[in-house]
Amino acid sequence: MAESLALPRDTSNPVVSALTVIAVQLAGALFLRQFLLIDDWRLVIGLLLIFGAALVLMERVPSLEARVEAAFARHSRLALLLGIAIVLAFPFVLEGNTYALHLCVISMLYAVLALALNFQLGSANIPNFATGASYGIGAYASALLALNFGISFWLALPVAAVVATIFGFLLGIPSMRTRDSYLALVTIAFGVVIHQLLNNLEFTGGPNGLVGIPAPELFGHSFASPLVIFGQELPSQANFYYLSALLVLISIVFARRLHDSRVGLAWNALRTDELAARCQGINVTWYKVLAFAVDAFLAGFAGTIYAFYVGFISPDNFTFLVSVTIMTMVIAGGMDNILGVIVGAFLLTLLPEKLRAFSDYRILFFGVTVIVFLMIRPQGLFPQRLRRYGH
Amino acid sequence: MSELFLQQLLNWITLGSIYALIAVGFSLLFGVLNIIHFSHGDVSLLAPFLALSVISAIGSALGDAGSLGTFLLALLVAIAITGVIGVLLDLVVIQRFRQAPAMMALVATVALGIVLRELIRHLFPNGSNPHAFPRLVEGNVTLAGFTIPLFSVTVIVVSVLAVCALFFMLNSTRLGLHIKAVSQDRDAARLMAINPGRIFRATFFVASAIGAVGGLFFSSYAGMARFDFSIDVGLIGFSAAVVGGLGSMPGAIIGSLLIAGLDTLVQATVPNGASYRLVFVFLLVIGVLVFRPSGLMGRSLVEKV
Repeated sequence: MAESLALPRDTSNPVVSALTVIAVQLAGALFLRQFLLIDDWRLVIGLLLIFGAALVLMERVPSLEARVEAAFARHSRLALLLGIAIVLAFPFVLEGNTYALHLCVISMLYAVLALALNFQLGSANIPNFATGASYGIGAYASALLALNFGISFWLALPVAAVVATIFGFLLGIPSMRTRDSYLALVTIAFGVVIHQLLNNLEFTGGPNGLVGIPAPELFGHSFASPLVIFGQELPSQANFYYLSALLVLISIVFARRLHDSRVGLAWNALRTDELAARCQGINVTWYKVLAFAVDAFLAGFAGTIYAFYVGFISPDNFTFLVSVTIMTMVIAGGMDNILGVIVGAFLLTLLPEKLRAFSDYRILFFGVTVIVFLMIRPQGLFPQRLRRYGH
Repeated sequence: MSELFLQQLLNWITLGSIYALIAVGFSLLFGVLNIIHFSHGDVSLLAPFLALSVISAIGSALGDAGSLGTFLLALLVAIAITGVIGVLLDLVVIQRFRQAPAMMALVATVALGIVLRELIRHLFPNGSNPHAFPRLVEGNVTLAGFTIPLFSVTVIVVSVLAVCALFFMLNSTRLGLHIKAVSQDRDAARLMAINPGRIFRATFFVASAIGAVGGLFFSSYAGMARFDFSIDVGLIGFSAAVVGGLGSMPGAIIGSLLIAGLDTLVQATVPNGASYRLVFVFLLVIGVLVFRPSGLMGRSLVEKV
C-alpha cells in the first residue's frame, strides 16, 4: 500500500521520457484537430475506433500507462509549457474553419461546467441535477445587466458569478438535511423551477429569451471582429476561444488547488463515509453547502461567456437535459479526475455534432452510447486515482 | 359555486389517481431493488402508443377498428406488453447495475428514458406529432343535481381497484410475501430458497403494468398521446413517490394526492396558473423535503456502521 501512494520512480532515460511527453501531447492535439475538421461519418467512426483502441491498450498494458504518467510527473513544467503553446497555436492550424473553432469554444465551456460539477459529484458524491440552472442564472444575470443597464462584459462577469453563487447557497440549504435520492430530487426540482420561471417571467423575455447581447470589448477591440495576430487574421470566434481557454485554465488551477487542500480532503472524506467524517470533526453541512456554491460560481462564469458569445439565450439552453448531459460528462469521463472530466466534456459535446449525418437519430445514438459506456466501463474513461503524496 | 367546487374536487381526485398509479411503481421498484428507475415514466407512457398500434393493426386486419371490444382488447394488450418491456429493460440494462453505486444506475436509467422516447419518435408513424387518444368513457351521470363525467368515475374506480389489488398481492399472496422478503434482506431471502432474480422480474412486471394503466389514463385525460409527455408525468410521479417517502405505498398515494391538489388549486385560482403550475408543485416538493428529509411516510434513514 505504501508504495502505491508514492509516484512510481522513473528510471528511464530523461531524454526518452521528455520525448514521450512531447509525443503524447502532440498526438492528442493532432487527434483533436482531425476530429474537428472531418465531416464524413465513416472517418468519425474510424477516429473513435482509434480512440477506443488507445483505451484498450492502456487497460491491457498498465505499465505503459504508468510510464507515461511517470514521464509527465518528471517533466511537469515541460508538459505545462507545451500544453499552453499547443492551446495558443491551435486556432492557427484549424484552417480558418469557424465551425471547428465554435465547437472548441462550446466544448471548453462544457469542460468548465463539468469541472464545476466534479467538485460535487466526483469529490463529495453529491448528486446535483441543477448545474444547468446555475449556468442559466449566470447567463441571464449578465445578459440582463448588459441589456438593461449597459454594463460591460468585464463587470457583468463577476456580478453574474456572484448571483449564481447566491443561488447555489440557496440550493445548498435544503441539502443540509436531505441525502441521496431525496437530495437528487431537490436539485431536480430547483432546476425545473428555474427553467419554468425563465420561461414564463416577462423580464426574461419568456420562451423567446433575450436577443442582441453586445459582444465584449477589450482595449477598443470588439470581440465580434476578427482577431489579427502576427499579421495573420483569425475568425472572430478566436477571441472567445482564447477567453474560454483562459477560463478552463483558471478552473483547472482552481480544481487542483482545491483537490490538494483540506477542503478537497474533507469532500473525499464525505464521499467515503459521511458519519465517519462527522466523527473526525469535519463540518459536513458547511462542506456540502460549499460544494454547491463552488459549482454555481464556476457555472455562472461559463454562463456569462456563453451569453456574450452567442448573443442570444433562451430557456431551452438550460433545461433538465443540459444538467443530465453535464452529469454524464463527469461520470463517463471519470469522477474526481480532472483530465478525465475534460475529455468526457469534449467527447460528449463533439459526438452529437459529428454525428449530424444521422441527423434525427443522434439523440437516440447519444442515449445508447451513454448506456453502453456505463455498462462496459462503469468506472469511467479515466478512473479516479489514489491520492499521491510523492511530490 | 358549489358546482364549480365539485368540478375541481373531481379534477383533483382524478389527476391524483393517475399520478398515484405512476408513483406506486417508483416506490415499489425502489423498495425492492433499491434503485431509482428513472425511466419508469417513459415506460408507463409507452402504453398509449402501444394501444394505438394495436388498434390500427386490428383495424387493418379485420376492418373493425371502431368497436368497443377492439378498444378494450387494445388496452389490455398494451398493459401486458408494457409489463414485459419493463422486465426486458431489467434483463438487458438495469440488472448490470445491481452492485454499482446508486448514481450509475440513476444516470443509466435517465439515458434509458431518452432512448425510449426517441424510439417512439422514430418507430411510431409521425411519432413527433401529438396523436389523438380517445376518452375511455363518454357521457355524464346526474347525481343530486350535479353532473359528473363518467370518465372521472371510471379513472377513480379503476385506480382504487388497481391499488387495492396491489395491496392484496403484497400482503396476502405468496409472491407478495416473497417480494417483501427480498426487499427486506436480499441475502436472507436467498437462504430461504427465494430466487431474487425472479422476484425482481415480477416486481418490474407489476410496476410497469400498473404504470401502463396510469399512462393510458393520462393520455385519455389529455385527449392525446405525445412522445414527450413522459418527462413531466415521470418527474411528477417520481416527486410524488419521494414526497410520500420512497418505498412506502400509502406515502406514494398521499404524495400524489398532495401534488395533484396543489396542481388543480393553482390552475383554478392563480392568474395564468397553468404556466406556473410546475413552479408551485416543485416548490412544494422542496418544502416538504426540507421539513421531512425522508418524505412524509418514509422510514428515517438508519445507518449501519
